[in-house]
Amino acid sequence: MTLDLVRDDDSLARQNQKLRQIAEALMRRVEQEGTGDGAAFAQFERAAVLEKQVRERTRDLEHALDLLNASNAQLAAANRETEAARADLAGAIGTLQEGFALFDPEDRLVLCNSRFGDGIAGLPLSPGLPFTEYVEAVSKSPSLVLSEDCNPADWARQRLLRHAEDHVIFNVALTGDRWLQVSEHRTPRGGTVIMQTEISDIIRTERVARGKLLDRQARMIRATLDHINQGVCIFDADARLAGWNRQMSQLLSVPLTRFRLGVEFHQLFERLRDGLSFLGGTDAQTMLDWVAKRRPRAALRFEIQRGSVTVLDVFAQEMPDRGFVISFTDVTAERRASAALAEANELLERRVHERTVELEAALAAAERANASKTRFVAAASHDLLQPLSAAKLYIASVAGDDADRAVAGKAANALDSVEAIIEALLDISRLDSDQASLDIGSFSLGEMLASLADEFAPAAARKGLRFQVLPTRHRVRSDPGFLRRILQNLIANAVRYAESGRVLVGVRKEAEGVRVEVHDTGPGIAEGDREAIFREFHRLEGQGGDGIGLGLAIVERAAARLGHPIGLRSRLGVGSVFSVALPLAPAATGDRPEGPAVQSARRGQVMVLLVENNKDMQSALAALLERWGVGVIVADGAEEALAILDEIAIAPDALLIDYGLDGADTGVDLLQRLRAWHGDIPARIISAHREPRLAAHCAAAGAPLLTKPLSAAALEAFVFSAAR
Amino acid sequence: MKDHVRSLPWREGTDQVLTAAKVPADHPLPMEAIKAALGPGPFALVLLFASPAADFAALTAASGVAYPSAEIIACTTAGEIFDGYSDGTIVAIGLPAEDFACATQLIENVDNIDSEELIARIVHARASLGLGHGGFDHEFGMLLVDGLSLAEDRVAATLAAAMGEVPLVGGSAGDGTVFEQTWVGRNGVARRMAGVVALIATRCPVQVFSLDNMVPTDRRMVVTSADPDRRIVRTINAEPAAAEYARLVGKDPEQLNPLIFAAHPVVVRVWGKHHVRSIQRVTEAGELVFFSAIDEGLVLTVASASEIDMATHLDGELSALGAPAAILGFDCLLRRLDAAERQQIRAVSECLARHRVVGFSTYGEQIGPIHVNQTMTGVAVYPPTGP
Repeated sequence: MTLDLVRDDDSLARQNQKLRQIAEALMRRVEQEGTGDGAAFAQFERAAVLEKQVRERTRDLEHALDLLNASNAQLAAANRETEAARADLAGAIGTLQEGFALFDPEDRLVLCNSRFGDGIAGLPLSPGLPFTEYVEAVSKSPSLVLSEDCNPADWARQRLLRHAEDHVIFNVALTGDRWLQVSEHRTPRGGTVIMQTEISDIIRTERVARGKLLDRQARMIRATLDHINQGVCIFDADARLAGWNRQMSQLLSVPLTRFRLGVEFHQLFERLRDGLSFLGGTDAQTMLDWVAKRRPRAALRFEIQRGSVTVLDVFAQEMPDRGFVISFTDVTAERRASAALAEANELLERRVHERTVELEAALAAAERANASKTRFVAAASHDLLQPLSAAKLYIASVAGDDADRAVAGKAANALDSVEAIIEALLDISRLDSDQASLDIGSFSLGEMLASLADEFAPAAARKGLRFQVLPTRHRVRSDPGFLRRILQNLIANAVRYAESGRVLVGVRKEAEGVRVEVHDTGPGIAEGDREAIFREFHRLEGQGGDGIGLGLAIVERAAARLGHPIGLRSRLGVGSVFSVALPLAPAATGDRPEGPAVQSARRGQVMVLLVENNKDMQSALAALLERWGVGVIVADGAEEALAILDEIAIAPDALLIDYGLDGADTGVDLLQRLRAWHGDIPARIISAHREPRLAAHCAAAGAPLLTKPLSAAALEAFVFSAAR
Repeated sequence: MKDHVRSLPWREGTDQVLTAAKVPADHPLPMEAIKAALGPGPFALVLLFASPAADFAALTAASGVAYPSAEIIACTTAGEIFDGYSDGTIVAIGLPAEDFACATQLIENVDNIDSEELIARIVHARASLGLGHGGFDHEFGMLLVDGLSLAEDRVAATLAAAMGEVPLVGGSAGDGTVFEQTWVGRNGVARRMAGVVALIATRCPVQVFSLDNMVPTDRRMVVTSADPDRRIVRTINAEPAAAEYARLVGKDPEQLNPLIFAAHPVVVRVWGKHHVRSIQRVTEAGELVFFSAIDEGLVLTVASASEIDMATHLDGELSALGAPAAILGFDCLLRRLDAAERQQIRAVSECLARHRVVGFSTYGEQIGPIHVNQTMTGVAVYPPTGP
């Protein structure tokens, strides 16, 4: 930057002079000389320098002014509101009917209305008055009525205690029968508002009303006492009569004049007790003791009789003031009615008892009749069966030509049918009579079915049916005899009704056990017939010729007794499936093979070894014995008998041995061998021969001869005597 | 004659916020022509910038009749700005009452103003605008003041103090290049030694600005003798002022003229900022008469135009204002002279037209409290943002 203040061609003196003038001008400027002359530039300079600051300062100032104005306006508004509120408040409390006062949190009077001082003389009410001084002034006011045991200091102390609570309302009595209700409430800021309400009118009105109420209540009680049909007398704490009603005299049959206010209970009681008798466990002393008793007395109730008829219920109860009330109720009618009722009841019970006895007798007779019927059926069946077996035995023994044997065969078949009917009847009879005891055990179902298969295979083969029994390894739990009857009947029906096709017996495993199913390709059973077929002697029309209609009846009864559900599925023209459900045997029952003989042996108490080479005779006899509940071990000959006994290792209780056995040995020979092995077992030799020599021979062998046809009675006598 | 009456085609634009027109200064019935061009209003404010060739008193009187309900302020010019630089015309600008509210004050005897009285009047006038209502959230002030009053500094400072943070722009009335008499007018009244101020509230956002293209050089001088009241510098560096100025700017003292003054203004440095002190003329005594306040002991620094040419500089500055709907501009006479000297007048004029500047050439400009020279001040008016 060049400093070109002076001209180069100036003399030094000129330059010096100019620089001095320049310096002077600058110094004057710096020292602000000539201010007056330079005002305009100074203005400019100030403006330039201060422009920014001034502008900001101005803005701040304006903002501050705005705020000031706004707050002034708010303040003015607030002041107006405050004034208005104060005026409103003062006006409001001035118009109150109640006296009103407000104390601040420091317990100094803020304001009160003129009514606040009304009625209490001598209160120095002015703002700033401490609450304690206010209370003291009230306590000393001549207007205040103090109770006898309370002086002004006491009153003031109690009043200040109340003041300590946030909300309290109480009444103050003033002279001239005037009352004030004072309610005191704490304000949220901790100040106190006191309202005084003049309640003299209310108190007076209430007092009058209460007086009226008491009178009215007394009249109402009196009217009530006279209205009820009980006798009531009231005694006070000293047991003196305080009240009674008219019914008293009627019920006790004493003149009303006897009742006198204030008369002592004892006096009254002594006068009245003649002519009264106490019923139940109560006597006069009970009553006297009760009256004399100190508190508390439990209510006392008893009955008395006046004269010969009237019965009174007496109820004595203590009242809160130790007095007591005794009421008398005429219960003569009730007692009479209840006596009549008791009499009627007794008569009725007697009749019921008599009738019960009669009915029991009738029932016994009925049971007897039923039992005798059952016994009759059983006996009749036995009796029918015996000649039948005999007839069969005879027929079995018929000899002759082929024609004769053919006739005999037909006769035997006819007898078989008769026998089947009788057996069925016998079964039903037993099932009905409840006398058939069940013998539940575990056994192999497969073996039972196998034997049934053997039994029915010939009949099925004769009709050209394919008959099949599926093998099973299940062991079941049931009564084997009845189960066998059930299955026998089902299979027999199947074979009987299936004209062609097949009969299939199989076992199905189910969740709860097994189900034995018998399938046939018979005509099927219509829906409507499915119940009827289980009835006795019911046969479906046009079907089968040789059934008697008892099979399913037996099945149903036996299954019901055993608890084995019977099932039936059928389609007309296709076939039927009968089934019986069985429980499985518990697993640990052992694997001992159980043949039919052994079953029998386990079932009966008496075990008979029957050795008979004639099959018909053998099965007839076995059936007979089994029907008697006797276990039967059957054998065709001596060797078989010995082998079976050897196998089962059980000694029979009795022996029935046919004299004429196959082979060389006679029945007596066998008898001796058996006895040699098993001891002296009672025995009978049976034979169709009636030669005395034979009889003697048998008798000598210790086995009397029973001749054919066998006498069932003799047989039974022998078997059951052997059992003992 | 009708061909000479022009109005800007702004009504066609969607961002139209004001309307303007110019008529020849020698138009026999200028106000009628102006009214025909601006339309009947209603206007909040009508501005009239009249060439010294016009009959200012008659124009002022007629304006009060033409727009009896509008505020009207007017002044004489050293040239008009309407579609670029213009001469011998009357430029009229109408601010619609729909978007503007306005209050005006006449300031008489500006050489002897009562600051407190003026401030009080301005405050009341502002209050009468009902600020804060109707969405008229934007505010600015506009001053037109006698350009030969030697009092612009004081007037501007006083007004700025009264207006607080409200921005103030202004222009000094001119008298062509004659420097004999300038006029201002308000609502039918014409005055010399006076100022008029318009306080304007509007729903249009506004932005005031001040620009110059001067940079100080290293040539400085000291005012050793002066007559501050008359803005006359008698000696510089203890030599006759004109001769010493001429020596420092390298010119013949005998040939000093406004073009040289415009090309070589001097600036004063106040708190790190330069402010142009323009020279008006040379007296017969070889003294320098300034357009703005001076004092003895001032250090004057010779300034020169920046490297960037004037039109480019102006275009940059005006473009920086964004997209205003219009610009009211007060452009120093010396800038126009300088542009002419530098053969930039055409470019600068086109730049003004392009930026839709309307206004006039001044004897001085006011921005806030400061009166300066050789600048362009003004206010950019933007389309309303809200309803």
